[in-house]
Amino acid sequence: MALDVTEHAKPPRAVFLPWMMGHHFGVPFHRDLQRRVIMECLGFLESAERSGEVRTLPIPWVQARREGIEIERRLGLRP
Amino acid sequence: MTETSDRGEGPPRVAQLRPGLWDTVNERYPGSMIDKADFVPLAPLRKPLSECRLAFVSTSGTQPRGSLPFDTVHPVGDYSFRRVPTTSRTDELEIHQLKYPTASANRDLNVIFPIDRLRELADEGVIGGLTENFYTFIGYNMDPERLERTLAEDIATAISEEGADIALAAPA
Repeated sequence: MALDVTEHAKPPRAVFLPWMMGHHFGVPFHRDLQRRVIMECLGFLESAERSGEVRTLPIPWVQARREGIEIERRLGLRP
Repeated sequence: MTETSDRGEGPPRVAQLRPGLWDTVNERYPGSMIDKADFVPLAPLRKPLSECRLAFVSTSGTQPRGSLPFDTVHPVGDYSFRRVPTTSRTDELEIHQLKYPTASANRDLNVIFPIDRLRELADEGVIGGLTENFYTFIGYNMDPERLERTLAEDIATAISEEGADIALAAPA
């Protein structure tokens, strides 16, 4: 959520998500997206080569939100 | 997607939605932000993910219903943590934290505390399993040295005792 905060904290591995605060794993009921975030992190455990690298999941917030709205419509949770 | 190339080299940076967060908070609360001088050495993965037990650590303030609520209004923060059994259903958990929007998490906790997704990955054998508990605290803590000396050390010890091979940490 906050790339600048991450860069100051200097974790050995980090995945930056350019999304709204409170949505670190995506949007409600979007299981595939929630899982994709976790898999990106797990994959990083295997492939990291140097400490401090920050990777980005290149899914803009507008796309995540749009997909979430469609899922909620299919589930009958919104008109 | 908004992108900038302000570093002048390397791949373009993907912009965060709320820019300048570190500077803003640090100006209002000097010394409250973590600011490390160096990177820690990278710890390589020592066995396949399918054999690794995962611990999840979250600053989301998620906790079992009925447990002592985090003190979200203490002037210097709450340096305690909660254990969340990994067998918990999401309707057995609640959030006590004021510093981030919780509207979506209150509809589907997995957006901030993906306990269902992690359990699925363990059941499918993608990861070797989960620790008995996940660990949570709240991110509003004004003394980063105290946080590191007490809370971080306590949680690191606890997840080690639960046999964690890997940890996923999500600041909220």
